[in-house]
Amino acid sequence: MATNNRIIDAHAMLGVENHLAMEVDELLRRMDVYGIEAAVARPMGAELVIDFVAGNDRLLSTPNRIFAWVTANPWAGVRALDELERCRDRGAVGLFLHPARQGFMPTEPMVVPLLEQATNFNWPVMFHTGTYVNADVLAVVELARRYPSVAFVAGFGGFADMWFEMPGAMAEVENLYLDLSMTWSAEIKQITTGSGADRVLYGSAEPRNRYPVTLRALDRLDLEGPQRQAILCDNVRRILKLP
Amino acid sequence: MTVIDFHTHLDEYWFGRPMLDRDRFLAGMDRCSVSKACIFTLRGFSGDCRRHNDALAAHARTTPDRLIPFVTVDPKEGDAAVRELHRCLSDPIFRGIKFHSWLQAFAPSMVRQTMLDILQCAAEHEVPVFFHDGTPPYATTFQIAALARWAPRATIVLGHAGLADYVQPAAELARDLPNLYACPCGPKAGDIAHLVQTAGAHKVLFGSDFGFADWPLLAERLDDVLEAGLNEVDLSKVMCGNASRLLRLEPS
Repeated sequence: MATNNRIIDAHAMLGVENHLAMEVDELLRRMDVYGIEAAVARPMGAELVIDFVAGNDRLLSTPNRIFAWVTANPWAGVRALDELERCRDRGAVGLFLHPARQGFMPTEPMVVPLLEQATNFNWPVMFHTGTYVNADVLAVVELARRYPSVAFVAGFGGFADMWFEMPGAMAEVENLYLDLSMTWSAEIKQITTGSGADRVLYGSAEPRNRYPVTLRALDRLDLEGPQRQAILCDNVRRILKLP
Repeated sequence: MTVIDFHTHLDEYWFGRPMLDRDRFLAGMDRCSVSKACIFTLRGFSGDCRRHNDALAAHARTTPDRLIPFVTVDPKEGDAAVRELHRCLSDPIFRGIKFHSWLQAFAPSMVRQTMLDILQCAAEHEVPVFFHDGTPPYATTFQIAALARWAPRATIVLGHAGLADYVQPAAELARDLPNLYACPCGPKAGDIAHLVQTAGAHKVLFGSDFGFADWPLLAERLDDVLEAGLNEVDLSKVMCGNASRLLRLEPS
């Protein structure tokens, strides 16, 4: 597996959601087993939708190796903006939104204040993508057009059956990035070839997916050294401004 | 460990791109130590089912110990679809029926009577009926699972075990409906552990979509199952035992 590179996981999850659960100690244990230097995690389940303050606190109280994609439900209005400001002051590195779970369309007006705040904080924004209607990949493309200075990350890369929109979406706007955590290798290869390795972020989707599965999938692509380094580490460091 | 892949596609091309030919397909199976594969069409979902069914049978005749063809028909054609099904299933080389209702542009409820006839035919021939699932508006997991209630004597397989967004109901439906099975082609290790825990290892079948892309896809999908933390007995059922039983394969 990919042991010669520094590896930063751009998309892990902490908390509980249906059959999935991950505590920080277990994530750190798995990171150690597979040589993951750092991970950027986001809340899940109720801590994504209702108890987002608790979810953000869970992330912001983790050790230095885990950075926070924080969230706030756009339906919370001013309370959401206050929460993001609080998180910024505590060291959050980006905004995560899940339109399907949080119940909005990415282009709805209620999202605008959050995106403006992310712009002001110089944060990237990861959207969950792939769930039909709310989490349409092309809705995120629309936002990327409207906010050209913001880096948007397509979380889960359109998984499952919007995967075929991703290569075209990446070609449409330069500020859209692929989180490969749930993406099959042929699509990763296509996007790496078509849009460049600097647009692809290694993610694990732990605890839904697994480090060995995603790392082996990347190994099988036989990427050149600089491309691997970009995907496994450099891109996420650059976009999220990690140390 | 013996592995039977319950979900593959062997066809000439798809959206203008050539797919794996038979030799490369078999080489991919060898590389990933897969013994047998259920082979489905892709182009046959757009029409001319008879020609594509015959092509699959021809592939299987060259390597009958490894390739197991599934027939497809277009239920929008009514009785003609049922006749084509009878024609194919009268040849024992066919061991199952495959539908992709999203690509074939029907919801089962739109073609209810024909679908009931098809399910009855499947039950008479004791072959599983395999559906793509997890994609609205024609192939939600609920739409496909409903067929198991329509025809309790037929064996229905959720071809993606809920895929991305329907894993939780797929697990419960496969648990609750005796004739409903789940093929986790797409769901990840955390999902597969849940499917096995909820539905039981006897209701989950390995499948990969191999052929849609080359061997790395097959390797990836094997990893999804191998990293799910299943015990050896459950793993053996998922990888081989359940497929052998549904396909009525002779013990080797």
